[in-house]
Formats: sequence, C-alpha cells, structure tokens
Amino acid sequence: MKFYKPKSLLELFETSEKIEGKKYFLAGGTDINVQIKNGIIKDESIIFLNHLTELKGVLQSDNHIIIGALASFRGIIESKLLKNKLPFFQNSLQEFASPLIQTTATIGGNIANGSPTADVVPLLLVLNAKLKLFSKSKLREVPISEFYLGYKKFILKRNEIIGAVLIPENAETGYETFYKKIGSRKALTIAKLAIAGLKRISNNKIEDIKLAVGSLNEYPRRLYKVEEYLKNKTVDEIDFFELESQLKKEITPITDLRSDKEYRYQVCVNLIRTFLNH
Amino acid sequence: MINLKFNVNGKDVEITVDDSLRLLDILRDELGLTGTKEGCGIGECGACTVIMNGEAVNSCMILAEQVQNAKVETVENLEKNEVLSKLQDAFLDNGAIQCGFCTTGMLMSSKALLDKNPTPSEEEIKTALEGNLCRCTGYVPILNSVKDAVKKYLHK
Repeated sequence: MKFYKPKSLLELFETSEKIEGKKYFLAGGTDINVQIKNGIIKDESIIFLNHLTELKGVLQSDNHIIIGALASFRGIIESKLLKNKLPFFQNSLQEFASPLIQTTATIGGNIANGSPTADVVPLLLVLNAKLKLFSKSKLREVPISEFYLGYKKFILKRNEIIGAVLIPENAETGYETFYKKIGSRKALTIAKLAIAGLKRISNNKIEDIKLAVGSLNEYPRRLYKVEEYLKNKTVDEIDFFELESQLKKEITPITDLRSDKEYRYQVCVNLIRTFLNH
Repeated sequence: MINLKFNVNGKDVEITVDDSLRLLDILRDELGLTGTKEGCGIGECGACTVIMNGEAVNSCMILAEQVQNAKVETVENLEKNEVLSKLQDAFLDNGAIQCGFCTTGMLMSSKALLDKNPTPSEEEIKTALEGNLCRCTGYVPILNSVKDAVKKYLHK
C-alpha cells in the first residue's frame, strides 16, 4: 500500500494522474481507515486530502452557500452561517453518526463514499444542491441528483474529486421542512431509511413539494413521481392508493442486516403521511 | 514508513512508524500509553476516545499521517502529580466504573466537553457521550459523575 500527501491541489491532481491501478482519496477516513485495518483495502494507493485547507470551511458566495468538501460535520453543525441561512439542513445533521465521528468525517466523504444510506444526501437532494467537481484543468458543476449512477457508481472521472457543495441560500425559505432518520437507536445509527422533505402550502393546496429518501434504493433519490402526483392537491384530494403506486415506481427497498423490505416500504409510506398531516 | 511529529500530553514526540498504523496503535504499541483502549475498532464504541486538537475523536479511525503536527491528549494526562482530576474523582465517588473498559473513553469525551463548555446542561452531557458505549450499561452513574464535576467546577 502506498500513501501520498500532496502539498497542493495541483500536486494532488499530478500525483493522482501518475498512479495506475485502484486508488482512494482519503478525506476524514472514518470508513477507509477501518477498511485498511480490516485488510479490505491493502494494495491500493491512498491519497490524503484532509490537510488541504482550501477545501474546508463554509462561506457565502453570491446567492449560494458553499461548503468545502473537506468541511467536517462538526464544522457544519457549528457554522453560524448555516445556522442563519440553512437551519433545517444544519439541525438535521445533529444526529449524524456520533460526536466523535462528526469531528473527523467530512461532507465530501459522505457523498463520495457512495453509501445508499449516506445521511447528508437526501437533504442535499431536496435543497437542490450542486456539487463542484475539480480536476486538473477543469471545474464543473453538477446537480447532486445527477451525481450517482448506481451502487457506489458516480459521474466522477478518474482524476476528479468533489471540491465543494453549493446550496442555494434561499433553498429552505418559505418551506415547511421534514427530516426523519429511522434506526434501532438514537446515536450512531446507520439508517434503516431516511426521508427529507420540503413543502409549501398555499390556499390549502400543496403548491410545491420535494421529497428524497435514503436506504431505499442503490443510492439516495428524489421521489419525483410522488412529488408530481401531490402537487396542486389539497390533503383531502390525495388518494393514497395512487400515491403508493407512484412510490413503488421509485423505490426498491431490499432486505439486509438492518431491516427488511416490507418494513422499509411501510415506514416510508407512514413518514410521507406524517409529513402530509394525513 | 513515515516520520511523524506530534505532541502527546504536552510532550513533543518524533517517531517513525508504518503508514497504516492508527493513532490508537501508535499510542498503545509505540508510546506505551495503554490507558486508551480498543473496543470495536470501527468507531462505534468510543473506548479509544482521545482528544485531538481540542476535539474528542475515535483514535481507531485516525491514520498515522492524520496525526502529523497534531496535539493529542490521552487519559494519562488527567492525573497531575499523583492527584486525580476532579472529573476522575467524580467517577470514583459515583462508582461510575464497573468493568472499567469504557472509562477512559467516557473521561476523554467528558473532558473535551468541559474544556469547551464548563457548565453543560444534562442534555449537552448526554449528547457529548453519545459515541461512548458502556458494555455494563452503567450510564446513570457516569452521567451523575459529569454533573458532579460540573458542580465542583461551579463551586471552585
């Protein structure tokens, strides 16, 4: 196993381009380090990122909040800017892992680790976040909804990294918010499922709604069909059989060590009902 | 192998270690600081908690390179001149130690909290200890110990 610690972003990309074979970019390392210890990662190259201060911090730029990919969850939870601009996003992450892991784990790592249960992703999906992807000669922005292609598969190119997360500063403004993470215990839960929602009601009608779920597909996803079905309806006009038939087109819950598919499906339906006050 | 410089319990340390070692391994095997324990090794139990740059962390999840130039504090730093810290005294007074395996982690998570916030609420104490499991399930005396330490701080 070879370890690299580039001194700058430029050196990072130069180093990365030279490495043949499988490699890992190591941010906080809360997943990778355990895999190294357990021998799951043993021959691959490791490139340290976490010392690159240019990818840390939370700041405002024009009408976006920019969160550096290497911002830790501690930094996010304690950010005054986020408290002010995106309190729903910030509060929803209070239960991320444990305080010990919050210190080390990074937002970029949570996204790029590609877990179907990544806590931060459903939130970013309903907030219409974009990812800024960095490579040696190119910067590009992609909506988080287009980042995942399959289980642990992304649109990231071989020598490209997530540099920052961009959230529109008014993404929460005017919306009722909802976030529930279901697990077997309060702290350190890996979610059986998670759901994030924003809705705006006008004249009793659902004028706008955004829903996203984690742990119900091979990667966290928006429920566009369910959203479309709900828009411009009053709560009394919702036919829950129809809602469920739309939902079934969008989620593919599985049975695994944490839960079974029937439970995941039913709780997802129940949580959507709770959010809709039905 | 990497040449590592960092500070442990106020002392500068310079050692050469294998890149794949974790902070936990370096403390226990290279520096003989065996107060820090390994429980699960995957960040779920908190027995390996130390304070790094002012924040409580799982030392089983920190790789050697990540410790470069860091300031690390372990449970061995709590006792000064053979006098236990108020926090340790409070754990003894409350019998907050059953098998003792989680104790160092509990102490370090509590210390990290009290260093930042000397007068935490019960809720804040509970939150700070969320990453630390007690396999004997003796959580009440542990919580009471931290509350007592806070009282001692207030009456100082």
